[in-house]
Amino acid sequence: MKIAPGPRRATARATLTIGLILLAMQFLAIVFAPWIAPYSPVDANPINALQEPSLKHLFGTDVSGMDIFSRVVFATRINLLISVTAVAIAFAIGVPIGLAIGYYKGWISSLAMRIFDFVQSFPVFVLGMVLVSVMGQEIWNVAIVLAVLFTPVFARLIRAEVLSLRDRPFIAAARCSGATDQTIMFKHILPNALTPAIVQISISIGMAILLTAGLSFVGAGVRMPTPEWGLMVSNGAQHMILGIWWVALFPGLAIVFSVLTFALLGDAAKQIFDPQNRSIS
Amino acid sequence: MKFGMLMRSLPRPLRIVLGRIGILVPQMFGVLLATFLLIRLLPGDPALLMLGNMATPDQIESLREKLGLNASVWTQFTSYLSMVIQGDLGTSMFTSNPVVVDLLDRVPATLELITYAMLVTIIIAVSLAVVSVIKPKGLVSKFSKVYGLAAGAVPDFWVGLLLIYFLFYVAGIAPAPFGRLDPIISAPPPVTGFLTIDTLLAGDTEAFASAVGRLFLPVLTLATVNAGALMKMTQMVFADSYRSEYIRHARASGLSEWKLVRIALRNSLPPIITMVGFLFGFLLGAAVLVETIFAWGGLGQYAVSAVMNSDYPALQGFVLVAAAFILIVYTVVDVLYGIADPRIEV
Repeated sequence: MKIAPGPRRATARATLTIGLILLAMQFLAIVFAPWIAPYSPVDANPINALQEPSLKHLFGTDVSGMDIFSRVVFATRINLLISVTAVAIAFAIGVPIGLAIGYYKGWISSLAMRIFDFVQSFPVFVLGMVLVSVMGQEIWNVAIVLAVLFTPVFARLIRAEVLSLRDRPFIAAARCSGATDQTIMFKHILPNALTPAIVQISISIGMAILLTAGLSFVGAGVRMPTPEWGLMVSNGAQHMILGIWWVALFPGLAIVFSVLTFALLGDAAKQIFDPQNRSIS
Repeated sequence: MKFGMLMRSLPRPLRIVLGRIGILVPQMFGVLLATFLLIRLLPGDPALLMLGNMATPDQIESLREKLGLNASVWTQFTSYLSMVIQGDLGTSMFTSNPVVVDLLDRVPATLELITYAMLVTIIIAVSLAVVSVIKPKGLVSKFSKVYGLAAGAVPDFWVGLLLIYFLFYVAGIAPAPFGRLDPIISAPPPVTGFLTIDTLLAGDTEAFASAVGRLFLPVLTLATVNAGALMKMTQMVFADSYRSEYIRHARASGLSEWKLVRIALRNSLPPIITMVGFLFGFLLGAAVLVETIFAWGGLGQYAVSAVMNSDYPALQGFVLVAAAFILIVYTVVDVLYGIADPRIEV
């Protein structure tokens, strides 16, 4: 395969820039939501129900007369809070587990891998829906369930790296000079094993946003009147058939926008951290 | 030793199938254990969960007795096992039918949807991938880059709604998004459960047209959203084999371009098969969302209503059927993989 060094690096930089700009916009929406949003995200006003987008209501109003623009802005908080928390927990749990089961061979490690196989062989959405429904539909339960679903991903990535590192000469050297297992694992192996997991963070956050929205859409996530993108799309679903497009369109666009951000950042991270790419530059 | 010799005397495909079915049994056992634990390990009393907060202590006690909750966990598991083996998955609290009956009613709807969605997904993904690799500077290649990025970021339920708006409301070319058949048309006698096949068997072309029409939007939704991932993977694998030495050699020997594509595609088949199997499982999850939008009346919609109504026996049954479905798909994938890649030892 031919490799074009220059352009590829430039694309990586462009991807990163676009991703960061989009991320910054969402960050602003999270911090300044009360100032950006012209109305309260939960104020129902039935007289104003289902108004078309206008200067007064940029994205129109929904069936209870709530301002969709304000709700879309405020929902950034909930959606990103759930997704980022879930991935952060998954990373914090998955990395040490991956490190341990990669470093120590034994039946516990194989059992852990079998359990991960099992969890991952399930369609994520089905498992998520079932787990949230048995745990109770709370914001934090959605985050916890997503964390459980993503933990195997991180553990696996770390384990694969650890397996390739543990028999390297520099590890043997560290062991010979009397380093303990802990020192070897955390000081010598972990820093060299983290890259794929770090690249995965961004991709996982994007997936978490999609899953959160999907769960709320079928009614297995957060509940009204919490401003959440999937829930808002679901509120507009039955109107779509009657030609009332704005209720479902805008929150859906917000989802696409947000997931795309993290997909771009993940792409950029992949290209920047890719050793093949690094040697080219 | 004798067993090994016996195995080796069998034809290769049969050996692959037998070997894989051997693994299926312990896997199925694992699935049963997991679905059992799912409900039993919940915080709180399963009897209370099943009856809801309005239950009296007497009702709870009698349900505990009925479910065998007062016995040891091991006895509970063996009795659950024997119930499942006898085809008893409990009674749905919402429909008051046996869960098995409910599930069997709904399996064909979902299977039909997923099967056609999978076919369309493969056709879109593979043709886009092949064309974009053969003509790397062409329009299709540029489109495939944008599509690959966007398809992973778009929620399927939202795409479904947009398609309803544009193709049903605005353009009026798609049929109404309610169910699998026009309500004024009577359903054909069930043979396979696939309406597209049953209507043809019954010779009812009007019903056939209606069934195909109703499939159009949900299949399009699932395919456009999921073809992106398969396309990206196929591009990678196909590009590797299309630019390999043996293809260059074959080209130098004067084989036609069409033949080269066929050879390269044949050799990139194993990883594509794995991905397709994975997608099949994924589509089951996506079908939950899409069925809700199109009032499809399949497994997915049943699962959502089970979630809404805290119908735990129904939920447990759904999880079991979903897991069994995935296991079967993965088994088929492994078998096909073994057949497609002759280097694999069996």
